[in-house]
Amino acid sequence: MKALVLLLAVALSMPPVTYAATYYLTVSGLGGEPDYEQRFGMWAADIGKILKTSDAADGKVETLVNGTREQVRAALERIAKEAQPQDAVVVMLIGHGSFDGYEYKINLPGPDLSAAELATLLDRIPATRQLVVNMTSSSGGSIEVLRRPNRVVIAATKTGTEKNATVFARYWVEALRDPAADTDKNDVVSALEAFRYADKKTAGFYDSQKRLATEHAVLEDTGKGDAVRAPSPENGEGQLAATFPLLRIGATASATKDPAKLELLAKKEQLEQQIDKLKYEKAAMAPEDYKKQLGALLLELARTQEALDK
Amino acid sequence: MRLLRAPLPAILFMTGTLCAQTLEQAESLWKQHRHTEANDVFRELVKAHPRNAGYRVRWGRLYLERFQPADAAQLFEEALKIDPNNAGGFLGLAQVAAEGFESKAVEFAHKALAADPKLLEAQELLARLALEDNDPKKAAEEAHRAIAMSPNAMQAKAILATIDWLNDKPETEWDPHAGPAYETAGAIFVLNRRYEEGIQFFRKAIELQPDLWSAHSQLGINLMRLGREDEARAQLEMCYENGYKDKPTVNTLRLMDSYKNFVTYKTDRTILRLQQKEAELLHPYFEAEMQRALSTYEKKYGIKLDRPVQVEVYPDHEDFAVRTMGMPGLGALGVTFGYVVAMDSPSGRPPGTFHWASTMWHELSHVYVLTMTKHRVPRWFTEGLAVHEETAVSPEWGDRLDPHVIAAIKDKKLLPVAELDRGFVRPSYPTQVIVSYFEAGRICDFINREWGWDKLLAMIHDFATGASTPDVIEKELGMPPEQFDKHFLASLEAETKKTVDGFDDWRKQLMKVAEEAKAGKNDDVIRDAVPIRDIYPDYVEAGNVYQFLADAYVAKNSKPAAIAELERFAKAGGRSPDTLKQLATLLEEAGNRKEAAEVLDRLNYIQPVDEELHRRLGDLWLGLGNAAGAIREYRAVLAQAPTDPAASHFSLAKAYRAYNRPGEAKDELLLSLEAAPGFRPAQKMLLELSR
Repeated sequence: MKALVLLLAVALSMPPVTYAATYYLTVSGLGGEPDYEQRFGMWAADIGKILKTSDAADGKVETLVNGTREQVRAALERIAKEAQPQDAVVVMLIGHGSFDGYEYKINLPGPDLSAAELATLLDRIPATRQLVVNMTSSSGGSIEVLRRPNRVVIAATKTGTEKNATVFARYWVEALRDPAADTDKNDVVSALEAFRYADKKTAGFYDSQKRLATEHAVLEDTGKGDAVRAPSPENGEGQLAATFPLLRIGATASATKDPAKLELLAKKEQLEQQIDKLKYEKAAMAPEDYKKQLGALLLELARTQEALDK
Repeated sequence: MRLLRAPLPAILFMTGTLCAQTLEQAESLWKQHRHTEANDVFRELVKAHPRNAGYRVRWGRLYLERFQPADAAQLFEEALKIDPNNAGGFLGLAQVAAEGFESKAVEFAHKALAADPKLLEAQELLARLALEDNDPKKAAEEAHRAIAMSPNAMQAKAILATIDWLNDKPETEWDPHAGPAYETAGAIFVLNRRYEEGIQFFRKAIELQPDLWSAHSQLGINLMRLGREDEARAQLEMCYENGYKDKPTVNTLRLMDSYKNFVTYKTDRTILRLQQKEAELLHPYFEAEMQRALSTYEKKYGIKLDRPVQVEVYPDHEDFAVRTMGMPGLGALGVTFGYVVAMDSPSGRPPGTFHWASTMWHELSHVYVLTMTKHRVPRWFTEGLAVHEETAVSPEWGDRLDPHVIAAIKDKKLLPVAELDRGFVRPSYPTQVIVSYFEAGRICDFINREWGWDKLLAMIHDFATGASTPDVIEKELGMPPEQFDKHFLASLEAETKKTVDGFDDWRKQLMKVAEEAKAGKNDDVIRDAVPIRDIYPDYVEAGNVYQFLADAYVAKNSKPAAIAELERFAKAGGRSPDTLKQLATLLEEAGNRKEAAEVLDRLNYIQPVDEELHRRLGDLWLGLGNAAGAIREYRAVLAQAPTDPAASHFSLAKAYRAYNRPGEAKDELLLSLEAAPGFRPAQKMLLELSR
């Protein structure tokens, strides 16, 4: 909880990031048997549907159910041609993966796609900010090859040796669908929020089934560190993911162009910063003092927001 | 723990130097508690004399003493292969079986005696086994036979003395004044749930023989069971430090170490111990149910307990299992030791397989019956009453008529009431314990229905005087037990006839329905499932008829019919959370929000570790004006570290506001906004509350 508060504070204190566009590519691979085939395809299709109906996607959503390596290459090459440095790209992989100790591959119809090849394709895309969500079995084996500064890498398994089929993708889809995933209620589900949501639900799944968990999702977004189970300021992971908007779920209050409200906006921003600062100081404060000051700031923020909404 | 068979390097060196070991050497080392070395000598002996059954038997006895019964059994079996009439081999197997309360113990002991009619240990074991089976008459006969073999048969005297002590005759001519004999008495008293007296016997055993570590261990374990943890720990640590590290000792110490992770809640009549990580969630539900059960029982049984009842809830079934080690029967879900109840947590079981509230009521009933009878009650009666109490709270609670019971009724395997204890203590087939619970419960239902509750109460008072089952049946029901058995069986068979007679056909038809459902033939499912539904209405497990029918009706868009089927499922005691949630959803969609909330509330007694359940129920109750209920549910959401803390605190704030507690509502709002300062609905309410 403390870690979350700190992380949010860091995220909120960063300059707002705007993207011209976000490109989404979702790929589901071979299931091997009808059950998995159907499940993988359904999850990929669901992601596609959710993204297409969201405001931010702007038609830049591609879904490859049972996609081949050639199709993936072609899709990423198209994005590489279109995308600008200020854009973002999100690649989501669902299916079975394999890792032989050296090389990770996602199982696709025809030749498989290796992590190294995927990394090369992604490196050619000019979009500075990138998110790769590898939800396959053994996906932990792809992290080392995929990580890079300004790229968030999420894997459903902590290592390449977690080889059992995963359920992380099911809850990743749910994170995109469930408003509860937006824990800071800013109408944007960030990559970090979706990761935490899916990870918690995945753990809950194994717990409720009384099964030993065979997957442990991890995140790496510094480009140089080890992927971690619980990103936090202490381990330095999660900062980029916290500011990476994965999905806009409501009418995000984009900065109003009404000059009359600029003053209110400035006040709002100032109050938010004061609240963040106060949260940092919480541990060192008397609880009653903290509550009093927090209450006053939150009330003022609510009043400011009310005035802005008029 | 496998100290004996695994050769240690130091011992390997020694074995190289030993060349002419004798049985005397092995026995001497054993006597000096140099078990590893004794083990090594035995190994060499067996290697040198592979056809000597006697060496294997003695080696097996060493294993048995050093807590490795499986290895011991293997050696006894090997001895019997060499010498099929080896009395020691049979005796060893009898002792292994007796440790596990297996019915084969008696058979093996008889075989040992047949092979060697003068084998005192086998005769003494038969006496003990009979007393464990609550058959004092037979136990006394067997013990006298042992004394006829040897006038100083200490364990036989212990059995005769224990029979007197159980009958509250402290002065007995058979008192053997020996530590192991008192230990035997202690064990039999514990088996009779007379823990306090059992403890006194273990103390006497230790007084006479301070290095009798098995008695120290039993003393520690039973003190722990009764909640006297400091002394229990001291005893068990003493055992451990002196090399007595059997499973019950080690596991109980481990369990006691884990107590630091538990939270204890106390009221004037309850002590509730819950694991830290689920304490906040479970506390309101468990406390409320405990209080309700105690109030109900106080009236029903007409007594007020003189001290608080302690309920311990274990999320790890292995921890709970430590509590029941060395006890006969299943002990699968809950166990009562006087005023202490230990039970599984709902989080320790797969969802839908465990009704925790039913189990709690069952165990709390034991507290009353054991108290009223001063623990002088046959097992069948206290278990039967406890099972009866479960369905008395609600017909949906308690266990269903399961296929094992149906088979037992069909095959006429139910035991006469006078012998029913045997089914609990030493089952003769794997499912006999389950069948015995069912039978005992139905006997109490039958007495309650035919003679009334007062007769059951009178029986409790009779048992308190030490009266036997046949005497109590005769006195209160006015007929000998054999006649009672006839009446009871006639009634039970009439009640279950449709299910028992139709079971085979039902099973075949159910398989057909399952195939039809798989193929999506919904009309066929409806046609074939309806006729078999009422043959075996108690079947609510996976692949039940209700679910097949509901799915078929939903597929055909006949939602009212689906609701009707799922309501039947719930009323029949169905516990699958997914199915009950499906029913709640259908009811909600049909506009029956109150009924939907009632269905979800049922799940609080089955699987409360479910964030979604509490959120849904909270929303329903808030909408229905039950703000207090909504508060409880939203608090349960928050107790599970929800994925969406801001929304969860906000929901609770709404419930507090509806309950006219603005201060708490504002506190929750602040927590919501602390997590998400820009959360508009919370901001709006904050402004409203601040105006």
